Amino acid sequence: MMGDKTDVWQGTLALMVLKTLQALGPLHGYGIARRIEQTSGGLLAVNYGTLYPALLKLEQEGYISSEWGTSDNNRKAKYYKLTRAGRKQLDKEAREWEQTTEILARFLAPGRESA
Amino acid sequence: MRRVRGWLLRLGELFGKERRERELAAEMESHLQMHIEDNLRAGMSAAEARRDALMKLGGMEQTKEIYRERRGLPLLEAFTQDLRSSIRLLRKSPSFAALVTLTLALGIGANTAIFSVVNAVLLSPLPYRQPDRLVMVWMSNASKGYKTSPVSGGDFAEWKAGNSVFEEMAPSWDSLYTLTGAGEPEFLIGYQFSAEYFRVLGAAPQLGRTFLPEEDRPGGRDVAVLSDGLWRRTFHADIGVVGKPITLDGKSYTVVGVMPPGFKYPPLTEIWTPLELNQAFLANYKDSALRIMARLKPGVTVKQAESQLNAIESRIAQQHPDTDEGNTVKIVPLREELSGDIRLPLLILLGAVGFVLLIACANVANLTLARAAGRQKELAVRSALGASRGRLIRQFVTESIFLSLTGGVAGVILAALATRFLVAIFPNNIANLNIPRVTAIPIDARVLCFGMFVATLTGLLFGLAPIAHFVRRDLAEGMKEMSRGTTSTRREQRLRGMLVGAEVALAVVLLVGASLFVESFRNLLQGKLGFDAERVVSAQLFLSSGKYPFAEPQKRLQFLDQVLEKIRALPGVESAGATNYLPLSGFWGVATFTVEGLPQPQPGKEPTADARLATPDYFRTMGILLLKGRVFTEEDRKGAPKVAIVNETLAHRVWGHEDPIGQKLNVGDIKQADWWEVVGVVSDVKSFGLEEETHGDLYRPFAQIPYPLLAIVVRTPGRPASMLGAVKQAIWSADKDQPIFKIIGMDQMADESLALRRVSTVLLSTFSTLALLLGGLGIYGVMAYAVTQRTHEIGVRMALGAQSSSVLGMVIRQGMKIALAGLVLGLGGALALSRVLTGLLYGVTSTDTPAFAFTAAILAGVSLTACYVPARRATRVDPMVALRYE
Repeated sequence: MMGDKTDVWQGTLALMVLKTLQALGPLHGYGIARRIEQTSGGLLAVNYGTLYPALLKLEQEGYISSEWGTSDNNRKAKYYKLTRAGRKQLDKEAREWEQTTEILARFLAPGRESA
Repeated sequence: MRRVRGWLLRLGELFGKERRERELAAEMESHLQMHIEDNLRAGMSAAEARRDALMKLGGMEQTKEIYRERRGLPLLEAFTQDLRSSIRLLRKSPSFAALVTLTLALGIGANTAIFSVVNAVLLSPLPYRQPDRLVMVWMSNASKGYKTSPVSGGDFAEWKAGNSVFEEMAPSWDSLYTLTGAGEPEFLIGYQFSAEYFRVLGAAPQLGRTFLPEEDRPGGRDVAVLSDGLWRRTFHADIGVVGKPITLDGKSYTVVGVMPPGFKYPPLTEIWTPLELNQAFLANYKDSALRIMARLKPGVTVKQAESQLNAIESRIAQQHPDTDEGNTVKIVPLREELSGDIRLPLLILLGAVGFVLLIACANVANLTLARAAGRQKELAVRSALGASRGRLIRQFVTESIFLSLTGGVAGVILAALATRFLVAIFPNNIANLNIPRVTAIPIDARVLCFGMFVATLTGLLFGLAPIAHFVRRDLAEGMKEMSRGTTSTRREQRLRGMLVGAEVALAVVLLVGASLFVESFRNLLQGKLGFDAERVVSAQLFLSSGKYPFAEPQKRLQFLDQVLEKIRALPGVESAGATNYLPLSGFWGVATFTVEGLPQPQPGKEPTADARLATPDYFRTMGILLLKGRVFTEEDRKGAPKVAIVNETLAHRVWGHEDPIGQKLNVGDIKQADWWEVVGVVSDVKSFGLEEETHGDLYRPFAQIPYPLLAIVVRTPGRPASMLGAVKQAIWSADKDQPIFKIIGMDQMADESLALRRVSTVLLSTFSTLALLLGGLGIYGVMAYAVTQRTHEIGVRMALGAQSSSVLGMVIRQGMKIALAGLVLGLGGALALSRVLTGLLYGVTSTDTPAFAFTAAILAGVSLTACYVPARRATRVDPMVALRYE
């Protein structure tokens, strides 16, 4: 559906958004999308349809908060920033993610099945 | 926690929706602009930069829709939105809405009404402890021709001692009392219960107690338990009645308890007294009088209990072949016993009315399908704008549920009105119809739930049709298709054809069933009761042994003579007479006899006849014809030679073609003969109603056996109802304290004896007419739609020179193919299903050819008409208009 670039999974997108906000501080939607695309080395594409519902969900859950501000180019934009709960959630999810990838890596690595 | 917070926020989002909507639009717009600026910086042209950004970011409207769904409570929001748009859409097509609502209201209303009867009769809780384990134990004997009869003391004693399937068995029998000394004298239907009977039922009194174990032994105290009705009516709900004496048949009894209002066992009973069984009776296998209630042990089935008792009974039959040969035990669950003969007709009606609802569903499904076809474009557009598939389905479901619930509410109102007429199924004056007594059919919570449940189910059922159809289709495809003009797909046509075919099949089954019922009813109405019900008033009395002691029969004779004299003196009375067991009243008794000159039959195999009494004028008054010999005269009294009259059936059964006049019958036994000489033969009377076999009747003069049970009959030239008051006064002028058990015109008795059959016939006919109508409408709808769809094609054909007759033929063929398929299917189904009806038919078999042929003809006629109208319209298509029709 989305052409050749990989569409982002919903669950991981939330983690990426939180991490981005932790790294860069308050940021608008366009900035978040750009940062994610850059970090992925252009492998991921973030469009409206995935980004804004995800931001809304995070805000509803209290991990991020938003307020209107002005961008570098004097454009009105909505800025998102991490809340305290968001920071905790980021730590927790990052740990879980590391664990998951480690486990999966062991499965996928050749010749290391446990006897 | 987070989740809860999310939900709360989302609930909050339901308000201030527009502000959020604007904010999102602004946010996305700024996002887009930043993207474009970056693109420009990267060296793209203005147009290129914008195009790239738009492509990359995806559909703005679709995002908004996803965002919306995430934002508020989409289900709730969508529901109110769907509801509002449904109502708006329906308002735009009021005829569709009205047709659907009406169809559903009829279907749901009919179902709810019949269910309310089922609820009142078959489902209402019995006020006893674990009523599922309560059973009645009857004797049955095919060779003697009775299905369930009371049990002898000997049989009962052996069953009770030998079984391991019952917790307890309790015997009882009926007994009639005259209550005096408490206001007006009253005739009461009473029952004698053994002491354990109330315990077996698990029913406790509201006042006082029931019987003590020592009270049902011979010589026990004379005590009585009152019904709630009797206590309120006659004793003015006096709490102090317990312990007080009352007088029954001139004997003093002590009231020990009062049963609660719901306790009506057996139905009609007003007073209970202890049943005293002596040793002699418990060793007697001949006199069958006990009605036995038993409680099954937990886990024991009726079948198991029956087989054990039958094993005991076959042993008894070996020891007492003269009385018990051929006997089998029949165990009937109490619930079935109480619902009696109405159970099967009710279930059949419930099934029939279910068919009507299915037909209504199919029709409505067809209508919504056709409507949905017109909405294909709308759906395609909504889907392109980001409405998810689930969202579209919800819209359909909301719409159909809204329609069906509206129909449901209207239906329940219809049902509430209908129950007033349905109470007529339960006649109040006929005791021999095995039908429970129901005086009101309430629309209670259960009925309401049923109505709403049926309505919802209906909505889902017919709402599914368009969903199943549209959701699986590629909607974008639909959009293209629509732009080319309206054509329905082959699949849709097949679905609609199938729906109508099924409708026709169901209608056929109903029609066959109804015509079998109608034919039975017509056969019954042609039957003759054997007496002139239209002009006779009857009054049933019981002369209590207190005032009219058994040993003084002349007192009873005197009373009757006086009453008849007073009645004859009334203006407008043609004649008056009396008997003991009034036809149709449900009271009866039999006499066993032997015939002079015929070989003595084995003991227990003697012929029997109904033991009837008559005064000289009885036959003339009732319009019973004298066929041979003479009727009784005033000279046939005590001391004169004993004489008898037989009916045609008995004469034929006993003497065949010989002349019965002058023959003698011994109604006593060998040791103590009691000879009666036959002096006349009268025509038959259907004493138990038109549907029952004619019994052999043995009439003897009332003056020679003055029996305490009396039915006075009065012949009037006008309607019987107008004479009731005068007859009552005449009886009271002879004895002002004599209670009248029941006074009623025989025309009303005859009418009520057919009530159940009449009502079920009328209902079934109504349902099948409704089914026929709906089925016809269904065919018409499909054909009319098909013709509209094919207007273009028909125009082409006609432009190419097709005759209007061939177009007519083509359209009719298409419709009749569906109708005929349904007809064949339905006839097959009817053949299989009508077997259920066999027991309820009279003079018709379940495979009655005329009924099937009639149904087929009617249905073919209706289908043809339903096809002809649209076909005719097709032939009037102007080729030029049709070609431009696109």
